[in-house]
This record gives sequence, structure tokens and C-alpha cells, in this order.
Amino acid sequence: MHSGLKTLIGATVVTAGLWAIPAMAQDCTTKIGAVLPTSVDWGRPIAETAAFAVDLFNVAGGVKGCKVEMILRDTQTDPKVGVDAAKALVDLEKVPVLLGAVSSGVSMPILTSVTVPSKVMQMSCCSSSTAFTAVASEGKTDGLWFRTFATTRNQSAVAALLIKERGYKNVAIFYKNDDWGQDIGKLVKADLESMGVTVPASIAITDGQSSYRSEVTEALKSQPEAIYMALYPAEGALVTREWISLGGTQKMVVANSLKSDEYRDSVGLQYLGETVGHDSAQPRTDSARGFVELYKEQFNAEPSGPGLPNSFDAAMIAMLAMEAAPDASGPSIAASVAKVTDPAGEPIFPNAEGLKKAKELLGAGKTISYQGGTGPVKFDTNGDVSAPAVAWKFDESGTQEVQYFTLDEVDAFISSLEN
Amino acid sequence: MIGFVSYLVFFLTITAILAIAVLGLNLQWGNAGIFNGGVVAFFGTGAYIMIILGGPERGGEFGGFGLPWPLALAGGAAAAGLLAILVGLATTRLRHDYLAIATFGIAIAIEAFVRNATYLTGGAKGIRGFERPLEALIDNPFLYSLFFLALAVVLLIIVYAGLSRLVSSPYGRLLRAIREDETAARSLGKNPARVRLEAFVIGAVIMGLAGGLYATFYAFISPQDLAPILTFQIWAMLIVGGAGNNLGAMLGTFVVWGCWVASGYVLSSLAPQELQLYAGTLQYILIGLIIVVTLLIRPRGLLPERLQVTKRPGPQNTGVISNAGEQYQS
Repeated sequence: MHSGLKTLIGATVVTAGLWAIPAMAQDCTTKIGAVLPTSVDWGRPIAETAAFAVDLFNVAGGVKGCKVEMILRDTQTDPKVGVDAAKALVDLEKVPVLLGAVSSGVSMPILTSVTVPSKVMQMSCCSSSTAFTAVASEGKTDGLWFRTFATTRNQSAVAALLIKERGYKNVAIFYKNDDWGQDIGKLVKADLESMGVTVPASIAITDGQSSYRSEVTEALKSQPEAIYMALYPAEGALVTREWISLGGTQKMVVANSLKSDEYRDSVGLQYLGETVGHDSAQPRTDSARGFVELYKEQFNAEPSGPGLPNSFDAAMIAMLAMEAAPDASGPSIAASVAKVTDPAGEPIFPNAEGLKKAKELLGAGKTISYQGGTGPVKFDTNGDVSAPAVAWKFDESGTQEVQYFTLDEVDAFISSLEN
Repeated sequence: MIGFVSYLVFFLTITAILAIAVLGLNLQWGNAGIFNGGVVAFFGTGAYIMIILGGPERGGEFGGFGLPWPLALAGGAAAAGLLAILVGLATTRLRHDYLAIATFGIAIAIEAFVRNATYLTGGAKGIRGFERPLEALIDNPFLYSLFFLALAVVLLIIVYAGLSRLVSSPYGRLLRAIREDETAARSLGKNPARVRLEAFVIGAVIMGLAGGLYATFYAFISPQDLAPILTFQIWAMLIVGGAGNNLGAMLGTFVVWGCWVASGYVLSSLAPQELQLYAGTLQYILIGLIIVVTLLIRPRGLLPERLQVTKRPGPQNTGVISNAGEQYQS
């Protein structure tokens, strides 16, 4: 037992010691936290874009003269790990603002068990589940929850609109078997059926399989005129290749998650001529083009992964709200988001001059209308954004916009669906 | 300071909940030698059934029984036990690696089931839970977190005390006898198949209890919580702590989960700016390294299984026991 006791003490000391290492203070820094899946291939660019926004903000002088330090933690897409990281950021680093997470299954427990009880503002770039709208409308988020990713409702309506415009009458659906995919698959099916389009098959695609032949064959049986895919690049490419090689139609409508070079290269551009995608972000505004310019300047590549402009806007809006807030507490920052995204305010694009002007205006107690990578952002009472939409297709350099739907057009179409 | 205490309380709560599951596995593997590769199936069943039994009504979905929390928790644990009976009967002829693969497959099946059976489980979006027990009464997040920690620790102590009694009783000796040599145990008139099933079910009930507590604490459960990584984490905790030693199982939970999350904290604080984006990947390497190094230094775990010797007078007997002991050590 004696040696056992020593081990017990030793192990405790080592574990505790790991916690004691970092304790370096810097003068006048403002911390914000980020919990994002950085160990996942598509998660890292999202974090990189948020960090880029922080750098731009610091060049413009930081928040109230203090340098912003973004403390980034990986979620490993494991809810336990994500919640723990969020709790550590809130309790140990005292961040008043948390960016993240990506998966709704991680964002939700963070929201209910960390940020709301601790009164910290949470802004997600990418969680699209309709469950958040339900929580917020019950008043359980205390106004601390925001997301810059249009809800699945918005995305599914645009998908239906594209299908309607192309006159497809018989459309099969493939959706990713997660919360987002199930949500959007169900909504698109309902929208199409309400417009009189037949949906002979709606098939779940579970990640990480080596082949989707049985799923593809099942959809082929019904000989659909076109297919709709809400999938991620890796499994999306597999499904598309098997679909086309088995003689399926090349008339495809795809979600913004497939807007990636990885998908285009792995399927082959020659098969994607009749493919059209929808995206709730990247509207045809100066600010969206401005974001693409800024991004290209920094990373020497097109911002073609999912969620990049959303991540940029989430970080920027959070920092501008901190600038506008009377104090550094989560609730007052959350309440100041409205000052930053006021449609009646001065339009601001977040480059060096824009940020400088924004700070002057906010300092003088005026409101601004933030115009970022996803266009002019406006949150509703549940922290959701509606967004204008674009249709895009693949080309040699990546993707190209083919059509633009303004916010009003999208909203009008959604209400026509609901009636 | 209050922030540190608040985080510590949170960390210890999760550790206590996971430790309960590790104790369940320790009964199965550490004592009875049952290689359960599907810990998450029992953990998840406990969590889901608890939330379905205790939760409020969900629009158009099954559930909404609104049972009192202790009943819901017990129901979850019982459901995990029921699943274990079915799995145990189906796999009764399987041993070691075959059993591991079979149980692993069952865990994958359960995950796929909850992801797709939207009517029952809410599908991929998961199920939101209910107000945690007595939360409205205490009405202070920090005091409530202390209360919940106390609750988890009390349950952990009850499980620990119960299991310690069980494994030091003649029944525990029987479990170890079957683990070491099933044929020999059978030759003494014991029924290994039945005893193995019993140990498997008791262990699963304990894992289900841990799952129920987990879902109570987060007031949320989704298929993402049922990823196979949890099975790996629970196993790593047991192996690092010392299979066969209940105290070791709990210490292992503390050390492995502590290193798991502390590595993320250390990397995010120390890594230079340009490496921050890769910290998540480095964290995996660090976690693996800590587990490997611990096992290199202490191959039988931090607190190895202690030899239980029934002392009897007489020189001859002592000799036999010490021989058995040597074999035990190898």
C-alpha cells in the first residue's frame, strides 16, 4: 500500500502540474475563446479564418485599445471534450465571448451547460440545427446565442427554389446522416412535395463507408430526373462517382457543403456541367467580394471551404460588439450585437479603414450595419440570420456564381412555401 | 480563484461520472475477464432511456413520461442491464477478442439505431433533457455544481463500496477463478457461463448508471456522445489505472481524463501562434504519448491488482499459494 500511496500522490502531482505550467500575463489583452474542431480537415480553415479576423482587428487597434487574443481549443468533435474546453475557457481564461462550435451536437451542450449558466455570449459560425431556434424561442438562451449560418430552413427553401426554376419533376435526395443532413433532407422533401415535385427516394448517407453502391442503386431504381445532395465533400464525391458510373443523371443540385475543390477534383469537372449549388452566404454585395479579396490576399487561395465567411463574420461581429459594449460582461456584449448589426446604421466593411470608422461611430454612441463575408448581417430575436442566396456552379478556378437571390426574394419564397 | 474552483468542480463531476463507468468495466474485464468492446452501448442506453423516461414531451416523438429523476435514472440503468442480458445470451460462447468484436459491433449498431430512429431518439439532433434535479430549488449555478458533484461522488462511493465488497467476497474469488482458468472452475462444479453473464450484466448496469448521470448533467444527449472514442477512453482509464483494482480504476480515470483535457489547455496556452491551429492534432499525439509512457513505466497500471490471498495455517498451504501467486504475476 505504501508504494500505492506514493503512486497516487505522484500521479496527482503530475496531473495537477500540467495545469500549473501556463500562467503568463500580458499587459492589456482582451481574451476571446474559440472551440472549433481544429483536428478535422474541414475544421482547421474555419479556425484559421477566425484567427485572421482577429489579426485584422488587432491591426486596427484591437478592442478598446487592447490587443485581442483568441484562445483556440479543439473539440475533437467529441461533446465531452468540447464542453470541457468551453468550460476551461470560461472559468480559467474568463472569456466573455465564445466562438463555436461547428457541430450542433457540440454547440448545444456548450450552450445549455456552459455559456448560458455562466452568462457568456456564444456565437457559432456553423451550427445550423433548427433545435437552437426552439431553445431560443423558449427563452432559454437569455439572448446570449447567435449564429452567422443561416438556419437549415433558409437553405432548404433555396434548394427547392433552384429545383423549381429548373423544372425538375422527379428528384431523389441524398443527405448526410447527421443533425444538419436529416434536418435539410426532411425540409427539402417537404418543400418539393408541397410544390408538386415527386421525391421517389430520400436516402441517408452515413460517413466513413468505403462504398455507397447500395444507397445509390436504391435511388437509381426510381429513375429520378435529377438528384439533390446535402453531403460533405468526402462522401459526396464517393456517392457522385458511383451515381454517375452507374448511369445516373448528371442533373444535380447540391448544398453549399459541397462547394469545395476537393469535391470538384475528385468527381471531375467534366461531370459537373449540369450541377448547380446553393449557398446561403456569399451574396452579390461589395462586402462579400471584399471578403474574398481579403481572404485571397492573406491565404493565396479562394475561400472555398464550408463556413469560412460565416466564421469571419462571427469573429468580427463579436469583437465589434465588445467594442460597442459598455462593459466586458457577456450579457452586455450580447446586447450590443444589435448596435453592430442595425440595418439603419452606417454600413461598415471590416477592412482597416472600415474598422477604424466603426470604432469612431461606436465610440460616439452611433450604430453601424455590419457588412461582411455573408453580406449585411441581421439577427432575429432567436439569434438566427436569414440570408440572401446565390446559385453557383463549378469551373476551372473553383466555383462561380450564376444567380443571385436577394434577401427579399428568399423570404418571399419561404412564405409562399408556407402558405 | 472562484473560476478555478468552478472549473475544478466541473472537471471532477465528469471524472466521477466516467469513473463509475470505469468501475463497471473493471468488474467485467478486471475481475471476470470479459472483453467488452462496446462500453458505449450500455452507457448510451442508460443515457437515452433516462432522458426518455424523465424528460418532457417532445413534439411528435416518443417519450415525455416525466418520471421523477431517481426512477428515470434507475430505469436507464435497468435498460442497460436488459441490453446486457440479450447481448450476453447471444454471445455466451464467445471469448476474448471474438467477444470484443461482437460487442464493438453492437455498440456501432446502437449508435446507428439512435441516429436513425428519429421517432424514438430524436435522430441525429439528439434529445434535450430536463431541468436537473433540485436545480430550481438551489438557484445558483455554482452552488448547484457543488451539489451535483456531491451527488456524483456519493453514487461513485456507493458503486465503489458495493463492488469492493463483491470482489473480496467468495463470489469475487469465483470471478477471478473463471478469468484465470474456466475449465478448472468448471471442474470444481461452478457454472462459468452463468457467472460470466452475471458479471457482464452487473457491469453494464453500472455503465448505464454512469450514462444516465452524464445525460442528467448535460441535460442533452445526441448520437455524437455515442462515438466509439468513449469506449476507448474508458478502456484507457482502466488499463492506465490498473485492471483488477477498483482504486486504480478511479485513479486511472482521474489521470487519463485529466491529461486528456489538460493537454488541450497546455497546448493552447503554450503553443506559438503559428502552431495554434495544429494544437488539436498535437493534443492527440500528447494523449497517446502519456498513455504509452505510463504503461511503459507501470505495465500493470498505476495501482496494479493486489493479490488476494486467503491465509490458512500450515506450511504446505503457504507454499501452494506462493506458487499460485507467481503465476498470477506473470
